[in-house]
Amino acid sequence: MFEKRYKSMNEQIIPDQVLVDHTIELINEKRVNTGPKIAQFLRKPLAITAMLLLCIFIAMPALAADVPAIYALIYSVSPATAQFFMPVQESCMDNGIKMEVIATYIHEDTAEIYIAMQDFTAGRVDETTDLFDSYSIHRPFNSSAHCEQVSYDEATKTATFLITITEWGGHKIEGSKITFSVSSFISDKHEYENIPIEIDLSKAGGGHKTKTVSITGAGGLNYEKYQQLLKDSATVLVPSAALYSPAAGIDITGIGYVDGMLHIQTAVKNPLKKDNHGYFFLRDRYSHDRTDDYSISFIEYAEPNNEDTRICYDEYIFDIPQSELAGCALYGSFYTSGLYTEGNWQVTFPLKTQDY
Amino acid sequence: MELQSQCTATEAVVRKYADMVFRLAFAQVRSKSDADDIFQEVFLRYIRRNPSFESEEHRKAWLIRVTVNCSKKFWSSAWKRKVVLLKVAPLDDCFSFSLPEENELDEALRELAPKYRSVVHLFYYEGYSVEQIAKILDQKQSTVRTQLTRARAQLYKILKGEV
Repeated sequence: MFEKRYKSMNEQIIPDQVLVDHTIELINEKRVNTGPKIAQFLRKPLAITAMLLLCIFIAMPALAADVPAIYALIYSVSPATAQFFMPVQESCMDNGIKMEVIATYIHEDTAEIYIAMQDFTAGRVDETTDLFDSYSIHRPFNSSAHCEQVSYDEATKTATFLITITEWGGHKIEGSKITFSVSSFISDKHEYENIPIEIDLSKAGGGHKTKTVSITGAGGLNYEKYQQLLKDSATVLVPSAALYSPAAGIDITGIGYVDGMLHIQTAVKNPLKKDNHGYFFLRDRYSHDRTDDYSISFIEYAEPNNEDTRICYDEYIFDIPQSELAGCALYGSFYTSGLYTEGNWQVTFPLKTQDY
Repeated sequence: MELQSQCTATEAVVRKYADMVFRLAFAQVRSKSDADDIFQEVFLRYIRRNPSFESEEHRKAWLIRVTVNCSKKFWSSAWKRKVVLLKVAPLDDCFSFSLPEENELDEALRELAPKYRSVVHLFYYEGYSVEQIAKILDQKQSTVRTQLTRARAQLYKILKGEV
């Protein structure tokens, strides 16, 4: 009886078609635009930067004297639309870090919101600050939203983010109140690309201890070819103490042959609080690079059920005979974050247009 | 060409699992707009991680786990911890069901502790066994069984029987 009623009720719960279509559009955009926008912004030619600076100096006298310096930043990012931004300047402070909603700009079905985070006590906010998936935007209308860092001011330790919200379905954005909250962020991010891994591959023979684990993820260029070997479990190297650390927070905990294939295992401690990841490739004597055929992931806990002791293992598998390995060197690219900062930053503010 | 085929494949996955992900998200947060956010986050994680699966069942299990995790993250937000105290959702944020007893059930599920909602949904709607739910959510079978028992007890009290 309960089951029937529960099922019948749930049959009526379906996502809005607009949501599905927007999600697909968003996914396709993400696939095409692989690099973060901040990188594109920083790559703009010097001439454009100079032009924007000129815009700031021309526009600055028109600004009220007490307009914070960060507000002028909007001119540097978007001089054509800066005049339409409505100052908000609502802020909150937690853990020595201030989050301030600088200004909003509503046009058609889109709201653009500039938010600044400034660290008053330490260097936790930096040019690599990433809100990853720890922010939330609560708004009373159906919409899609995204957040990106658009600039960083070293002198004031302030990172500025642009949130763009696009409304679906004819709801009027203007007059709505939204709440932007952040519960944590990562910073001190580093990239180590194409670095040599100083491990003697000739010692990567067989006879290593292995075990069977439940896998939590799998992938790779040739994964489909090997997926028959895997069900929900896989044979992996028994993790050892760190053999080599190619980047802070990423340890190589195993390397050796299993069933005729080269396995390289990495461990990342507490991955939920860091975004540490990477990949390996083998470079032969002709400088030809070869990435892993597939990789698998599994999770272990140093203490049972203690999330803080979670270790994420990734094992990269190369289908390469040991005889061919002699002429190869191991390289890798790694991406790490050194700081994870928690807090409770939340600002509720109205979306208004500029009055003239 | 490869990019185009990846986009098409992902689109097919989104369309295939859209209802399942949205229903599971809604089952936990019981708010359309919040379920919308979780829905997008789940599929964005899907393209970020670009996982491969040996079967559709494995892919479905991955999506279920990520949806449950995204919903948990939602519950941990400070804003949500405050607003849920009101227990009243805006009208345009709810579904209106065709039968009065379905609306009554929806109300009861709003009162059910959030931590029990996912197991109830996976058990009663998706038809998974306790063993399968434990495997998908990476929990002990005993934990899932306890959650189901406690959920039934809470619903029994709220609905005055019928569970």
